[in-house]
Order: sequence, then C-alpha cells, then structure tokens
Amino acid sequence: MAYMDTPQTSRSLAMLAIVCCVLQVALAPQISVFGGRINFMLILAGVVALSEDAQKAVITAFFAGLFYDLTAAVPVGLMSLLLSVGAFVLAHASGSAGSGLSPLSMQFFSVFALAVSLINGVALMILGSEGSIVAALFSHGLTSAIITSIVAIPFMMLYRGSEATHRSFSSRGGSRFKGIR
Amino acid sequence: MPKNKRYSSSLNNRKQSTGGGPLIVFCIISVLLLTFYIREGETGPIHAVRSGVTTITSPIRFLGGAIATPFDALGNAFTNLTASQETLDELKAQNAELTARVAELSEADASAKRLEELLGLRSTYNLQSTAARIVGASSDAWSQTVTIDKGSVDGMEPNMPVCNSAGVIGQIIEVGANTSTVRLITDENSGVSAMVQATRAQGMLQGQPDGTLRLEYITTDSDVQEGDIIVTSGIGGVYPKGLPLGTVTSVTSASNDIYYTVMVSAAASAENNEEVLVITSLTDEQVASDDDVAAANDAPQGGSRDAQTQDDASSDTSDDDSDTQDSDGTGEEE
Repeated sequence: MAYMDTPQTSRSLAMLAIVCCVLQVALAPQISVFGGRINFMLILAGVVALSEDAQKAVITAFFAGLFYDLTAAVPVGLMSLLLSVGAFVLAHASGSAGSGLSPLSMQFFSVFALAVSLINGVALMILGSEGSIVAALFSHGLTSAIITSIVAIPFMMLYRGSEATHRSFSSRGGSRFKGIR
Repeated sequence: MPKNKRYSSSLNNRKQSTGGGPLIVFCIISVLLLTFYIREGETGPIHAVRSGVTTITSPIRFLGGAIATPFDALGNAFTNLTASQETLDELKAQNAELTARVAELSEADASAKRLEELLGLRSTYNLQSTAARIVGASSDAWSQTVTIDKGSVDGMEPNMPVCNSAGVIGQIIEVGANTSTVRLITDENSGVSAMVQATRAQGMLQGQPDGTLRLEYITTDSDVQEGDIIVTSGIGGVYPKGLPLGTVTSVTSASNDIYYTVMVSAAASAENNEEVLVITSLTDEQVASDDDVAAANDAPQGGSRDAQTQDDASSDTSDDDSDTQDSDGTGEEE
C-alpha cells in the first residue's frame, strides 16, 4: 500500500514555499556573486520535484515561477513555463534519486538548475531583455545555476517531502517503492 | 478528512499521477501570460498584478534591504582585500592628495550640509523632483534594476528619470502603489542621449552586459579625451540636460572606424539605502530646445574644446541658477 498526502506533508510543503518566497524577495536581491543571483523559486521547484509526485511538482513549480516573474523585472510567464516543464522532467527523471540530499539528487538538481538558468538566459535574449549571448549564458545563467545549486543543499537536506514521513526503509538499486509503509 | 486517507491501494505514489494534465494546462497559461505581458505594453492587467504583488511584498523587501545594509561594508572590505598593487598605489596617492584637501573642505562641507538641509537635493539641480530611497536591488541576474520606496501613490510614473547627488542613476520602468522599479543606466537595455560636456559631441550612452557604460555614435572627427565628463543632452526628452552621467575612461578606435569606442565610468552608483531624486517634470530650460536639436543634428561631432569652454563661461555668468551643474562640471574639468 502507498500513502497520500498527510497534513504533516502539506505543512512541510507550505513551510518550504513560504521560506523560499520570503528569501526570494528579501535575500535574493541583496546577494550577487559574479553576476549570478540565487533563485529560491528554482530551489523550491527542484526540491519538491525530487521529493513529491510529478503533479504536485508541476503545480508547485508553476506557482513558484509565477511568483518569481511577478517579483522580478522579467517577462511574466517565462520562469513559470520553464519551471513547470523542468519540474515535470525532473520528477520523472529522478525516480531513483529520492528525496533528501544525496550525490544523485544533487546531480539531478544541478542539471535542472543549469538547464532552467541557461534556457531562461537564451529566452531573455530572444525577448530582447538580454543583449549578449555570452553574458546571458555564462555571466548570469551559469553563475546563477551554480550558486543556486549550492544554496539548495540545506533545503534538500531539510525537506524530504511525503516520502520520508512514511518511509520505513530506504530504496535500493533504483527501487521506486519508496512510499510503502 | 478521514485520517486513513493516506493509505490507498496504489503501490507507488510517484506513479499515481504523471502530471501531464497540469503540465499542459500550466504551459498554456504561461505562454498566454507571456504573450499578454509582451503585448500589453507598460500598463495592463498583468502589470497591475505585478504592481500589487510588489506592493504586498515591499515590507519584506524593505526588511531584507535593511538587514543587508551592514553586510555591504563587509563586501567592500573583501573587495579591498583583493585589490591589485596598482590600485593600492593609486589609492595611496589619492589618499595623500585628499588628506591635504580635508582641512580646506571641512569648513566648506559644514557649510554645504547646512545649505543642503535648507535647500534640499532638488534645489542643487533646480529640479522638480521627489526624494526617494533605494530599498532593494534586482532579484534576477539578468537585469540591473533597483527598487525605490515611492510609487504611484506618491506620483511616480514610468519613464521618470532618477538621479542622486552624483548624477543620473536610471529611469523608472514599473510603478507599484508604494514602490517603483528603476532601470539603471548600466543595464544593457538602457540608453541615454548624452554629450561630451567639453565639446558638445553628441552620442548615446548605452549600458553593457557586463555593467559598464559605452558612449556610442561618437564620430572619429570628434574631440573626446580620457577624463571628459559626459552629461545628458536632453534631446531624448526624458532626462533634463546637463546632468552628469559619467567620466570617459578610454577612447579607442581601429583604422577605418567611423565611431570611437568610448568607455565611460558611471558618475553615480546605486547603493542600498541611498537617497535619490525622482525627477517628476522638466522645466522648459531643462528640455533640449529646437535649436539644440538642430545644432546636434548639424554638428554631432561637437565643437572645439576651447570654444565650448568660453561658451560655458559666458552662459554661466548669464544664467547661474539654471545651469548650476554645467558650471560645476566645467570648473572641475579645468
């Protein structure tokens, strides 16, 4: 038997979303490293995609992206589109990675962050918000992906989603039966 | 909600829903949002929603800015630690020179502070303006913007120029109820009609992807030198003429080039918690006249340095009040 959402899981997700939203508004504008900035909405979408089912990941990613779009000086709809698609792919691709921090989940998250940041940079260039492909990809996209991936580590450690709350044994060898009690 | 809801007959929760349905729906919504956002211009429902979100989140933004302010000094300290020997030598020389001037300027500073308190920043430039404070920077890596603590409630509107005591910092691009987003002149989407103060050579000051400034369309028959002050020309109709934009740091050109490559160091920086002036309207003297536009079109390369200096001197004596910045800039240059 598997499980469905519990109030505890929903609370954890709500808490994660609130923390990420607050940090996105309060902290992200204050920190710039080599032209890159932390995208806490990408962290929220990625962590949820690694820990929850695809449907919940897509929904969370869309609203996270929309929040990012509405609080930054970027075209509205772009990040929500990228995060929705990215979270969907990540949720399906990371079946064996599981929630929590592990080398495999970190790899998946880093690829997700890099892909979203680079595609976002290219899209912004196409939309006229960014003039240089080099700056879009390397100065902003790559550095943003790297620092976002680093900052995501504590979030991945702390949030384990619905799986951890019900899991009585770890998955091994790529088993996807992580929700069985 | 039944307490045993979490148990179901399905084996794998991650496989319960593929998320394909929501993905398609959200992709369509996102594309529609993007399309409407691009098509609606500067005002429209999506911009209104963004303004609302900005208003709601502004207290958190203010809080973040207030918390981060002490750490800015830490960042400066780190920058100083990693400075090159050449930079340090230059700073030492500057320090020696500045120390000698401290005593002289202390008296003037005390006097200036009193005057500033009386007149306010706006009278310095004879501008119709509203004071505001920078409360945050851009939350994305792809744009160079800052948020100020004044919005539509305070009479802010898109396209209003923003400057501080050193010069122009940018232009309002989005307005919320109590905050506004200012695009800095260093943003690559920013372009300001500018001219070389000493020769009146006309150009366009363009932000670059790396955050630097480049003065474009300066023809190679113009007289431009390192150290020249770049000011707004007022031709665009947005910025008042004569406001300082920066200083020329390098002038280069390859053979057969029509235009110089002129790099400019910005006069003003947009630090967190700094006070700025939003110019709410321009007076007739601050807008480029038809004669100015015609002169710029006829001679975009400007005139000779000496002739312009004489012109400035004569205009200063005839119109001290309206051209305060020009006279200051010329004086410094000489």
